[in-house]
Amino acid sequence: MTKWSMVIDLDKCVACQGCSMACRFENNTPVVSPDEAALGRSIFWNDVFPLRSEEESAIASGQAKFLTRPCMHCEDPPCTKVCPVGATYQDTEGIVRQNYTRCIGCRLCTVACPYGVRYFNWYEPTWEESLERHLTPDQIEGRAVSEGPSIRPKGVVEKCTFCVHRLFKERDRAAAEEREFRTEDFVPACVQTCTAKSRYFGDLDNPNSTVSQLAQSRRAFRLLEEAGTHPKIIYLHEG
Amino acid sequence: MGSNKSLSRRVFLKAAGGVVGASGALAVGSNLLRSLLQENDGPVYLRTSQEEEIISTVCLLCPSGCGMLGRVADGNLVKLEGNPMHPINLGALCPKGQAAPELLYNPDRLTGPLKKIGSRDSGEWEPITWDDAIRVVAGKLTQLRENGQPERAAILYGETRGQMRQFLERFMASIGSPNVISHDSLNIEAAKLGTLFTQGIYDLPVYDLENSNYILSFGANLLEAGRTPQRMVSGHSYLRQGRAVRGKVILIDPRQGITGGKADEWIPIKPGTDAALALGIAHVIIRTGRFDTDFVHNYSFGFDDFVGEDRTLHKGFKSYVLENYDPERVEMITGVPATTITRIAGEFSGNPPAIAVLPGKGGLLNGNLNGMSAAMAILSLNALVGSLETPGGVLTQRYVTCPDWPEMPNDDVAERGRQQERADGAGTLFPLGNHAYQAVADRVLDGYPIEALFLYDANPIYEAPGGGRFKDAFEKIPFIVSFATFLDESANYADLILPEPTFLERWQDDYIEGLGYPGVGLRQPVVEPLFDTMNTGDFLIRVTKEIGGSVSKAFPWDNYKSLLQERLSNIGTGWETLQELGVWLIPGYHFSRRGSERWVDEVVGKDRKKSPRDGRFDFYSRELYCLLEEKNDDLLAAMGAGVSGDELFLPHYEAVVYQGDEKEFPFVLNVVTLMSLGPYSYAANMPSLQEISGMVVGERWGSWMEMNDEYAHKLGFHDKDQVWIESPFGRLQTKLRLVKGMREDIVNIPHNQGHTAIGRWAKDRGVNGLEILNPASEPFTGLASYTNTRVKVYKA
Repeated sequence: MTKWSMVIDLDKCVACQGCSMACRFENNTPVVSPDEAALGRSIFWNDVFPLRSEEESAIASGQAKFLTRPCMHCEDPPCTKVCPVGATYQDTEGIVRQNYTRCIGCRLCTVACPYGVRYFNWYEPTWEESLERHLTPDQIEGRAVSEGPSIRPKGVVEKCTFCVHRLFKERDRAAAEEREFRTEDFVPACVQTCTAKSRYFGDLDNPNSTVSQLAQSRRAFRLLEEAGTHPKIIYLHEG
Repeated sequence: MGSNKSLSRRVFLKAAGGVVGASGALAVGSNLLRSLLQENDGPVYLRTSQEEEIISTVCLLCPSGCGMLGRVADGNLVKLEGNPMHPINLGALCPKGQAAPELLYNPDRLTGPLKKIGSRDSGEWEPITWDDAIRVVAGKLTQLRENGQPERAAILYGETRGQMRQFLERFMASIGSPNVISHDSLNIEAAKLGTLFTQGIYDLPVYDLENSNYILSFGANLLEAGRTPQRMVSGHSYLRQGRAVRGKVILIDPRQGITGGKADEWIPIKPGTDAALALGIAHVIIRTGRFDTDFVHNYSFGFDDFVGEDRTLHKGFKSYVLENYDPERVEMITGVPATTITRIAGEFSGNPPAIAVLPGKGGLLNGNLNGMSAAMAILSLNALVGSLETPGGVLTQRYVTCPDWPEMPNDDVAERGRQQERADGAGTLFPLGNHAYQAVADRVLDGYPIEALFLYDANPIYEAPGGGRFKDAFEKIPFIVSFATFLDESANYADLILPEPTFLERWQDDYIEGLGYPGVGLRQPVVEPLFDTMNTGDFLIRVTKEIGGSVSKAFPWDNYKSLLQERLSNIGTGWETLQELGVWLIPGYHFSRRGSERWVDEVVGKDRKKSPRDGRFDFYSRELYCLLEEKNDDLLAAMGAGVSGDELFLPHYEAVVYQGDEKEFPFVLNVVTLMSLGPYSYAANMPSLQEISGMVVGERWGSWMEMNDEYAHKLGFHDKDQVWIESPFGRLQTKLRLVKGMREDIVNIPHNQGHTAIGRWAKDRGVNGLEILNPASEPFTGLASYTNTRVKVYKA
């Protein structure tokens, strides 16, 4: 079974925030007001930030000065366990997903997540006037299902989905072209846009994939490995 | 590329198998309620647009010029990706490029041409038709021509590569004005002049980062801003992790920034002393004999002392540097330990290929000759170790060949006008300068008569140091036209605003710069223009037709697109391919052998006007000597030259003459451009960029000033204090942020906040550090004085 995973080379990363912006425009995350932003309520599924010196020492042997942080898509995610309504779940390919229709906004998941990658919609997201025209039309839907770039209602939690709607799309493209889907067909928006080519994406279950190979690097580490969450974001530290 | 309609229908995927299996798997270990709920969810599918197209274009949110692919869904631009065919970004896009849909769909855009009602600053406008606008502009220019004063028309322009720059020059030449004034004097001109006066090429050097082993960056903020940040980031990635041996990067800069944070070593040099450090490194290299003797002896001029045509002995670079720049003395000047200087010199000369990199802006552009001289000193390091025109060294940019422009029709009025003195004083008041954008305000206030001013991608009130002077200057100009897309600070003072569509809606080409080999990118409308805007090229062509006579004969094109099609007809591919791919290259850099014909024609000396084009790199600048020959030492001293005689023509260090006494104003103010908001005013009105603007210090939506944390504590400041920052030219209030990575004697203010116009997100937010910078121009070159202003800081 495919196990989607991302490797981020912090030696190449230059903290440009291209990933944050690609994510925003791919997934329709709203701009929050300056006041809300000051309260830490900005919604960047993939945030980029500098590390304070005490945090630096917490990162295993790394000398990274900046961190770029999507959802870790843990193999053993704490968030899904605490959701009382099944709104967040891990699909069979290891992507931790979020169904806005089912979410009741209790934010147990947000507290349970040790990585701080779950974001709450304090207000109904809005785009001023003509800005609405750039919203992507991609929506994952079903009966009682609303996921991915679908516009969120007020009061639900949202998070990085590895751009799972792109996976839907690439599977469909393969079907339309009457061929097998290849794992290389699918990359999330942040990986595609990375200015420093510091991101790699693929199947961790395939020992020959780039991510599997890089996971063996002596530079490889994962965030808060001691928490037992088994993140599928693998970082490479500098050097 | 092209259309992508296989995905254009509505897609319904059944919830079979894995991806969408929200049902079975989760039931295990979940409670009964959850599994029951999810059992009922049924099929999950992707809903998307009806119609989709992918259109290529080229970004214009910084000078990198990255290729883009726009995803147009049901007529709306919903996403941009990097064009993988474009060699600058190779499929990547930075945050500005990603956020560009916010520029296109910005609710504060100008929606049609406007005419001012009432006084200059009334802020009141009424709509005007394009036909009327064309008649008004043509009438004004015709009147100037009839009066025999066409030179009283002037254009200030910003970022225009490819044909647009040549087009504007041709337009003004056909009218009869020499006043085509680039904003280069605010940023890259010092580096270009440094290259001209040594290598003899009036262009920026290109750095082969991928194949270099050692990068010595003199204040070049490679990874955040500069001429081509995206190109530098790509090269940096490959240099660090893309090959067997990791290249080393050293940053010499009073501010660490992201480039210094990523570098192997950050050398916090005293501001304005880069020339001394470069010459100190040269001293060690020469003294230890670790230079490229073949290059120095056979392909350079002025390394050794020489007897000139005047039969006197002139000092050469070698003896000058050996006598004056020993590491101990350089340590006193720069604050960099002599041992470090010696070590860096050893590393630089011992790890070929090595490159010394020039900054695009800041650090060098001081208020005296020191800035340009620093550029010459840094380029001389590359020459010393033989890095010129070698793999992993410094390359020379080549461009696509275009057909010749049609000959200009005979026109006595225009001919006379073109011979007049330029409005910015370049070539006259500023004998070494080619453009002195910021000086136009002073010149107009001093009486230079401009009667019609055009602003193309130019917002001098905001973007020139002390740009407020332009408000007064504008009062003296009876007719001002702005082609701005937004009602920016300068457009506010215009009589006519003739909005150009955003770069996502117009035809334009762009020369690819930063890799050496020639290439061209094509901007095309990704969507139909949203508003009643007009490509400035189209507008000016229509103006020439209205003027008629020799002016319209100079422009035998129906519109700007057909001009582009003709100009780009020789690049090696057809228009349709270019339009589909968005980019065309003639890839592969062909190195020329030292002394060969191509070396002489293309690499060393071709742009010298007064000195020999003999393929020799000037350690002693013959061009500079010829340009300043007629000026005697007293005159030169009066202009502010800190040295005289041979020293003036050799790369040398002179102490920066700061504005503001060091005791009263202890800090040097440094206005820094960040990756997030970039250099161009309109980006400040893109809300997503505002939201990520101050990532480095955790600020969003506003300004801050950075100070060294330990030093600030000594002075009694605390993080996030509100402070005044005051220079001899004014003061600003903002938030203080304390950072570790900077010297004690500088403070930084990030660029592109503090707008008083443009739109709801840009306006009245933060401060513009340029307002309190020294507004003077450097007397020799006409460069803006970016880094010679001192400030004091006190609590608000």
